[in-house]
Amino acid sequence: MKESGKEYIKRFGPFRIFEHWLNALVFVVLVLTGLSQRFHDYSISQWIVMALGGIDATRIIHRYTGIVFSVLTIQHIISASVGILFLRWQPSMIIHKKDFTDAIDNIRYYLGLTEHPARCDRFDYKQKFEYWGVVVGGILMMATGAILWFPTMAARFLPGEFIPAAKALHTNEALLAFLVIVIWHIYNAIFSPEVFPVDTVMFTGRISKERMMHEHPIEYERLFGVSHGSPSGEEITEERPVT
Amino acid sequence: MHCSKLPQNMDGLTLLCCCLVLFLSHIFFSSVSFAENISESEQACMACHSQNMVLNFEGGEKLSVKINIDEIKKSVHRIISCSDCHGFKAEQHPKRTFKTKRQYSSLASRTCTQCHVSHKTEIHSRLLSQSPAGTVCTDCHGFHSVQRARELPKGNNYCLNCHNREMSITFKSGEKQSIHIHKDILDSSVHRNLSCTDCHFGFSSEEHPVRTFRSKRDYSIAMSESCRRCHFDKYTRTLEGIHYNILTKGNLQAPVCTDCHGAHSVYSGRKEKFANAKKCEKCHSEIYSTYSRSVHGGALILEHNEDVPICSDCHSAHDITDPRTTDFHNAVPQLCGNCHANKVLMKKYGISPDVLDSYLQDFHGITLKFYKQGGKSAKPIAVCTDCHGIHDIAKLSSPNSPNIKANLVKRCQKCHADATANFPDSWISHYKPDIRKAPLVYMINLGYRIFIPFMIIGLLLQILLHIWRYAANR
Repeated sequence: MKESGKEYIKRFGPFRIFEHWLNALVFVVLVLTGLSQRFHDYSISQWIVMALGGIDATRIIHRYTGIVFSVLTIQHIISASVGILFLRWQPSMIIHKKDFTDAIDNIRYYLGLTEHPARCDRFDYKQKFEYWGVVVGGILMMATGAILWFPTMAARFLPGEFIPAAKALHTNEALLAFLVIVIWHIYNAIFSPEVFPVDTVMFTGRISKERMMHEHPIEYERLFGVSHGSPSGEEITEERPVT
Repeated sequence: MHCSKLPQNMDGLTLLCCCLVLFLSHIFFSSVSFAENISESEQACMACHSQNMVLNFEGGEKLSVKINIDEIKKSVHRIISCSDCHGFKAEQHPKRTFKTKRQYSSLASRTCTQCHVSHKTEIHSRLLSQSPAGTVCTDCHGFHSVQRARELPKGNNYCLNCHNREMSITFKSGEKQSIHIHKDILDSSVHRNLSCTDCHFGFSSEEHPVRTFRSKRDYSIAMSESCRRCHFDKYTRTLEGIHYNILTKGNLQAPVCTDCHGAHSVYSGRKEKFANAKKCEKCHSEIYSTYSRSVHGGALILEHNEDVPICSDCHSAHDITDPRTTDFHNAVPQLCGNCHANKVLMKKYGISPDVLDSYLQDFHGITLKFYKQGGKSAKPIAVCTDCHGIHDIAKLSSPNSPNIKANLVKRCQKCHADATANFPDSWISHYKPDIRKAPLVYMINLGYRIFIPFMIIGLLLQILLHIWRYAANR
């Protein structure tokens, strides 16, 4: 894959791109409708709620969007499990001990204590942190959200106090997710000097070979060998089984 | 007044001579005013009637026939002479006997009707028709001192000249209403400095229009219109009130000003809470009895506690709105909050002043807040009264309180029909979650309160380090 002198490698298939952007849309809707309930004293929250047609309408939007989010999350978990267990997908998101050492190494590099940044595989520790944040947080939000949607049903099987506890979890986790996305993800995808003005990978699904070599050297070496000679140009897909 | 029978113990002629001498010397030396301006015929009468003389009736009654000429000269009848009413002159003095004073009065009063014919019309005919048989002019107007109506003392005393007697009016419906006004009641009312005609406009010393009303109620409703001439602010507020609303829809039992404030006895409404609450009881007796058993009503009635709310504190007095409306329902937390968020007042009773705020920050309170901003609401959201009750609010410590956990589920089920026994535990009361009352919620909140800043600061530091490294590398 060559384009304007740069060589590109396919990183994400169309479905993963669609999954990302649908998730992003759902996330935005959930944040707007959810946090405006939590921060109900702010005039912007009140404006949002009223613009959506009142609190009942806002809650309906929030809940049904929550269903979309749940379907997405469950679908992802099932497809990833099936892929890894039966279709021999690379379990590239599994957290290893190396991810922790990578994080430490990288901070040492930032501080100028080592010469080189951590050498990462297909997904670096920052991406794994976000990924598992979304998956684990998503499961938590689904469970607590269901309790809050059907509190009387939940009280049949759970102690009553679980309902305010679910609310505490749901709102706090939402705030945490919102802050992580706004600060960390948006920085890494837009404002980081390495990608500014925007990281195009999630639009095009491809990464330049040069950037891959820089950011995911282990994956690069696995694909193209240690030598920095001319790569085959063969498209590498995520689902490609390890041979 | 005419003397019909000379005192028995005196010779007529001797008496006359003595009288004349005394009388003439008296007027001569003391220059009594009437000497110049009374007619000769009157002088002849007064020759005897300025003396102490008593008329004896057959029934044994006695009547002084001494006449005070000054009284006559101040009366409206000063221009007519004794004989004009009494029908005879001094020289033709008849000798008559009467059984009783009453018999004499009746006879003498007939004279009045020779000149005054109004007893056949208007207010007099009505009054006479209701008066005891035998009521005559002099009973009300007096005789020698008779005054022109408009010269009678002005103000309330003028009206009370008549209305201090037992009398009543009859409505078309047949109902009767006493119009006997007790001066002491008027004097103890806040309107003691007003005159009758301030309220009863259209009436004056000259005019006493005859009006007819279908019923006592019609009259009360019509009269209450008078109040707005001064109390216009209250009147305009009542126009928005439910009582006026149902009145205009034809329910004449709806209260008007006088039903709560009284008419002649009107007193300041603010003074006594207990009396104020009692006013509402007249019609809303069932609610009052519920209220009297509640924590608020009990304190008012048994302990004379003036801190507790009475009807008007929640429902207001004049612009009472329909409490069944959504707007009223949605205003309840602020209503209760007027007292229950008052730190000083709540401290006095050991009640948490945070109840309002904790409600407003909870699911129900947040929902309510948005409902009040005009968003569409599927069904009303629970407010204070939905859990605590309305007129039957009980102390939380009372075993029958609907709010202790054992009973609370019934309250929950009003909205959450399928609530089960442990559902009320989801309500962590009006307290901030703490380690004892709601340990799970407390721990979760505490965990995130530490974790979120830790995470965010960590991420921000890493971003800053990254930028720094990037800049340093260039």
